[in-house]
Amino acid sequence: MSSEGLASRDAKKIVFEAFLFAVGFSALGVVVNLVRSDGIPLVPRAPIEIFVPCKEVSGEVKVLDPSDSLVFSEETFLIDAREKEAYEEWHISGAKNIPFDYLEGVDDAEVREIVRSSKKFVVVYGDGQDPDSGEQLAKELAGKGIRNVHFVKGGAKALRFRQ
Amino acid sequence: MKFFEWKGHRFIGFVVRLYLAYIFIYASIHKIIHPDSFAVDVATYQILPQSLVNIFAVTLPYVEIGAGLMLLVGFKIRQGALLVCLMMVMFLMALVIALAKGLNMSCGCFASQGVEEDPISFLTVLRDLAWLLLGVYVLIFDESFLSIDALLRRRR
Repeated sequence: MSSEGLASRDAKKIVFEAFLFAVGFSALGVVVNLVRSDGIPLVPRAPIEIFVPCKEVSGEVKVLDPSDSLVFSEETFLIDAREKEAYEEWHISGAKNIPFDYLEGVDDAEVREIVRSSKKFVVVYGDGQDPDSGEQLAKELAGKGIRNVHFVKGGAKALRFRQ
Repeated sequence: MKFFEWKGHRFIGFVVRLYLAYIFIYASIHKIIHPDSFAVDVATYQILPQSLVNIFAVTLPYVEIGAGLMLLVGFKIRQGALLVCLMMVMFLMALVIALAKGLNMSCGCFASQGVEEDPISFLTVLRDLAWLLLGVYVLIFDESFLSIDALLRRRR
């Protein structure tokens, strides 16, 4: 038999034996798991809960006074970052509701809509609390590459008071 | 070819073999002691269906420690090195998929640490790639220096 033939036969033998060892070690793992008192069920009885924090996306934003004319400008894409219920109760006419969620980032479709609007400025107002959902959302939008993002200091409360 | 016949492989292969043995035995210990935590780490990668997560978490650490021990004592070294290489390829694929998904998570390679202590990154991929290359080196060049394989060969 040629040396290539021998090498090929050796390689096949190595692969086959490695496979057998893998099966053997796996079987050992299953047996040990069955025997030990703190073994886990081989098939989970309930969905495994996982928590993966989102990567923090944050960019530079500017603060606006509630009385700033930019809030009501024709060139502004105005966003209400509060929950839907609060938005429905009161909002500035023309504001789009994009509720800020600490766990889930802004939907890409929303980002695309802002970009396609061709407005020069983006102004976000939130609940005005600490931390302010408006500021958080503004930073997230800026972090996603949107320019000229502002947030209203004091949020919806301050704007409502001014009106 | 001179490179393949170089006598230094005998000693380098031995050192690399022991190093990989240490890595794999060390990596398996926490997973064997805490299969429940390792199952969560596996699930966090979101690659396997949840029904297969526990069986994978129960079996993989034993393949790791088995391959590690094979390299440590020098029994069926090439088979052990092949197992190490296959596991490294699997880990690399999982890492790349997780990074491509943008998952901000712990590697889960050694112990279930938080994402702050052991985050996956491009560096984790490079590290695993280096270990894969070392595995390939042992697979190709190891000459069974100070090993059970050598002892068995001498007896024949």
